[in-house]
Parts: sequence; C-alpha cells; structure tokens
Amino acid sequence: MSELSLTVNGEKVTVAVEPRTSLADLVRENLNLTGTHLGCEQGVCGACTILVDGVPVRSCIGNATACDGASVRTIEDFDADPLMTELRAAFNAHHALQCGFCTPGMLVMARDIVLRLGEADEQRIRIELAGNLCRCTGYSGIVKAIRWVIVARQGARGELEQRPALPLGPAGSGHAKTGTDVSGATKATASSLRPDAELAARKPAPAPLGASGKKASAVRQSFLLDAPLPVVWQRFGEVPAMVRCIPGASLVSEAADGTYDIKMRIKMGPIGAEFAGTASQRRDDAMMAGVIHGAGRDTKSATLAEGELNYRLTAEGEGTRVDIEVSYLLSGALAQFARAGIVTHFIGAITAQFAANLGRSLSPEGAVGPIEDAGELRVAGSLGVALKAWLSELFRNPFRRG
Amino acid sequence: MKPSAYRYARPSSVAEAVRLLADSDGGGKVMAGGQSLGPMLNLRLAQPELVVDITGIGELASVREDKDGIVYGACVTHAAVEDNRVPDAANGFLARVAAGIAYRAVRNRGTMGGSLAHADPSADWMTTLTAVDAEMLIAGATGERRVALAEFMTAPFSVALDEAEFIVGIRIRRHSPAARFGYFKFCRKRGEFAEAMAAIVVDPAAGVSRAVIGATDSRPIVLPDISAYLPLSPERLEAAKAMVEGLGIAGEPIKDAMHANAFARALQQVKP
Repeated sequence: MSELSLTVNGEKVTVAVEPRTSLADLVRENLNLTGTHLGCEQGVCGACTILVDGVPVRSCIGNATACDGASVRTIEDFDADPLMTELRAAFNAHHALQCGFCTPGMLVMARDIVLRLGEADEQRIRIELAGNLCRCTGYSGIVKAIRWVIVARQGARGELEQRPALPLGPAGSGHAKTGTDVSGATKATASSLRPDAELAARKPAPAPLGASGKKASAVRQSFLLDAPLPVVWQRFGEVPAMVRCIPGASLVSEAADGTYDIKMRIKMGPIGAEFAGTASQRRDDAMMAGVIHGAGRDTKSATLAEGELNYRLTAEGEGTRVDIEVSYLLSGALAQFARAGIVTHFIGAITAQFAANLGRSLSPEGAVGPIEDAGELRVAGSLGVALKAWLSELFRNPFRRG
Repeated sequence: MKPSAYRYARPSSVAEAVRLLADSDGGGKVMAGGQSLGPMLNLRLAQPELVVDITGIGELASVREDKDGIVYGACVTHAAVEDNRVPDAANGFLARVAAGIAYRAVRNRGTMGGSLAHADPSADWMTTLTAVDAEMLIAGATGERRVALAEFMTAPFSVALDEAEFIVGIRIRRHSPAARFGYFKFCRKRGEFAEAMAAIVVDPAAGVSRAVIGATDSRPIVLPDISAYLPLSPERLEAAKAMVEGLGIAGEPIKDAMHANAFARALQQVKP
C-alpha cells in the first residue's frame, strides 16, 4: 500500500491504496463519491471524467499514486458552481440526458469547453465532446445545451473564472515526494496463484474453427524447402517437431488420443500473453495435405485463441513446395485491444518464422543446429537473418521502411 | 477492472530511474501520463512487476532550445503543445497535430514521450514526428544516446529501447518560415485510432520534401523525396494516389485506397 494525500472537493484527504489503484477507484471505493461513473475503464467512453488540478482527466486510467498531492474535483463538488448551475439548467431544458450514466462526465467536459474555448459553434462542440459517449440522447440535446450556455454567457462577459497557469507535464502529476523508495508488495508469481491442474481444467475442448460463428482471419504463405517430399510429409506428421518450429510454442504433454497439450508465449512490446491449450492434427495422405488445429486460453488477459494451420505439399524439383494458410480467431481482452491489421501482421511474422525454422530443421545443419527462438516470440529486434529475408520478401516495397 | 498488482516508484532523477529499471530485471515499465499504458494495465495485457513513474523528474516536463532546434521533455503533454504552452519547432504544425490526438481529457495527461514509447502504429506523433525527422534522446546505463525517430520503432508496440533505457526528450529541428506541412488521417470517429494517415513536410531551405505514411499495421513508411508531386496539379495528384496505392500497404483494396487518399489530402494542404 502507498499512502497519498489529495485535496478532494476542497477537503484534504489521506488514503492508503495499492499502487495499481486508479483515481476512479479511489474516489468511488475509498471516498464513496460514486457520482464518477465507470464505463469502459480504458479511456474511451468519458463517463469517468473528473477535474484534476482544474482540467478534465480520465479517472479510470489516471493512476492515483501518480497524482499524490493533486487537487481533484468530482461531480459532487459542483452544487454551488455558477457555471455548472447554468449547465444543469440547460441540460434539463434541452433534454440532454435520459439514463444519466454519461452525465457526470458530460457536465465536467461541457464546463471545460465553455471555460476553455469561450466561443464554440455546434461543430466545435461536437468535436470537443467526441470523447464522451452517450447511448440515449443522440447528442443533439447535449450539444444544444452547451451552445445555449455559451450564447447566454456572451451577453455577460467577464464572468469566466481565472484559468490556472497550466504545467507542461501530466495534469495531477509532479506534486509528490520523489526518490528511490518502491511501494507495493512484490507480486505473487502466476504459478503460485494458479496451479497447472486448474489451468488444465479450464482448457477449452477442441472444436472446429469458427464453431462460435465468428469469422476467422487468414494468412497465406508459400515457401520452398530444400528437402524431398516424403521427408517433409513425414515431418509435418510429427506434431512435437512442428511445435518446436513455432516461435514461442512448447509441448507440455502428449495424450493417448493423439492430442497434445501445448503452451504458446507471445510478446508484442509491453503486451505479453501465454496461451495454454491443446493441438491435434488430421492428415490426408492421398492429397498430401493436412490441418493442425490448436485452441488455447491466456488466463492473465482472459483471451481465447483458436487457430488452424492448413498445409498442402507438392514436389518441386528436388525440393518441396509448401502452401500454408493460417486462420485464427481471437476473443477477449487482446482481441479488444489489438486492431485486426496488427494481429494479421503479427501472425504473418510468426508464420514466416515458423517457415524459416522448419526449413532450418530439415537442412543437414538444422538437424543439430539451434532453432530460432525456443522461448518466446519477439517480433521486434531478435528476428533471425532468415526471417528478415522472409519478411523483406513478404513485405517488399520500393521505399525504405521506417 | 483492476490491473495486476505492481510495485511503484517515483524517482527524482533520470539516473535513479535508470537504476530502478536496471534493477528490475526486465519487470520494470516506465509510465509518464499513463494514457496508453493505463488501458493495457486495466485489460491486463501488460503486467509489469514495477511501474517507474517519471513525472517526478522535473527536467522531463520542460523545453529547452538550442541553436537550431527545440528539445521537448518526454513528459510534455499533448495539451501543452496544443495550447502553445511550448514553442512550436514546426510553425504551428505540432500544435495542430496535438489538437487531434484522442480527446482533451486524455491530452491533459498523455505525453509526447509516452506516445512514442508506446509505438502504436496509428498514433499521431509516430507518423508526424517522423515526418519532421525528430530525434529521440534516450537515457540508459551508459549515458544518453540519440536515435532518429525513423529508426526507433521496430514493430507494432515495439521500439529500440533496452530494458534500462527510456526516452528523456524529443529534439526537433527548427523549421524555416517557408516550411509547409500537410497532415491528414481517416478515423471512424473523431479521436479514435486512425485507419490511414499521411504527414508531409516540405522545407526548401533545408532541402526537405518528405512524406510519411502512418497507421500501417507496423512501422510508418518514409517516402524520402516527394518533390516530383509538387507543385500539385490534377495529374500529379492522381500520380501520387496511384503511387501510394501501388505500395499495397494493407494488401486489401479499401485500406490501400484510404492510404492513397490520406496522402492525396495531405498533399493538397501543401500550398506553393
């Protein structure tokens, strides 16, 4: 716990909170100021907007400890505020609310628009309000109410309050004592919290891809391997060897029914996830084609991933041509966060690295040589030379990147 | 929604911050305004062991000018740039870009350094500051080094920083009064992450005629010399669109057309 002092609605308060506590949770849970509403908790909906050091801030993504020493005003503090009184009357007159969930954030933002801009036409008001979502009104009443207050105030100039001199750094930050003290308890390790048996119990059963009705995305790649068709065909049949070629993936155990328990760790910048699940394979000897299906869950981010690797092999000269299509479905926090194109790019990079690793594992040196990245995938930085070649072919364009 | 538990430190100097990061054995994560990190913590996509809050380091929330450029401290907020609380090295272009980032309540805490370290492909600063050829000032265990922003982002959400390094400042060359700028982005909704974007800087005094295509699925794409399309004519505009569409950035026709049109609209803002 870290102890911090804030001025909340004019009163000095000292509270002890965990470092992970947001300003929103602090005012709601510790101070019982529940007028601050939580909608999305990722800075999108605006319902939690409060004033910190006089300016609007998203309290759901404002770390409370970082704002130690700041002055906070929540919707409860505006009863006697002249401008807020005008706004409340205008919201009432123009039917600017229905269920009221977004209203505390709307009012805080509306007040900022009037004070900061002085004059704003309808379009400007709509632009400034873009970060506050309302599901009831269609916004027109809210916009009219704010415009009404702006017009009314123009007849009574000089009433605008003095704006504080604003700092260059984040609003609310920079007040507190600094140093090398570290607050908060050391985190328990994931394994101590969740025994593997529990993980296994939560493992989703394999089902056909897209059984949920969602559309899967796909990445296609083709490459040549310098090994004869029968050798490559045999290798594709060995799931453990294939898993070793997938960056970040590792085999946990093999079941009697031909399914495999696998883990896959991915890393994209600060985002880390570890999927635990099962894999199985179906093959068609006549067609020289098969499909490896895998499904898993990352318990940390509550993300479900499901993927299929379809492959078809054809002899080409002395070697083998491999056509693969990786299709995948993501649901949960990671899917919510990562935009489709970025995920596709990421899967493309994994697929390219898989191809490079597979080629290396089949080459005479590869039989004994190391396979690129056994632990986890980092798309950046540690890409092997072979992968860079694959990628430059994959994403070739005439202009320099970056 | 609660982030996974983490420890928290608020160092008073760059050296202290570097030491905390170095001692964290890879579990440390720098936070400035926390407007990009916050959502990832809440969604538990990022689960750092230690958060190092750098907003207590006074010098990071300041600006200093040298002979031909301006160094913006990493903790200078988008709102400070939008409001012209800091000098604008690009004749008002930076303020214009800042005003379009997310929403005012986010801009009041979100910082230039934080946005660049987060390296979202669709973020405004990554594309526009690459266009003005910004330089990253990076502190680490062995002192300070500088990297061109064009070399800084390596993949989505990934940058060329080691575990004990962080951005302390962004240096931007002062542009000549004759410099002209263009910036256009397509967003489904104002303040949302962009679907396509392009930034253009033409500064004859410095021999610069550069465009950057952003909101790709990974790094921004630098077009180092677009002088062939200027001054703009209807034919050149079409050629410019065709050129960007020909890059096949997204690999699907609708998004490729959006990139081409974002570039065309940015180009149209560059008046002779």
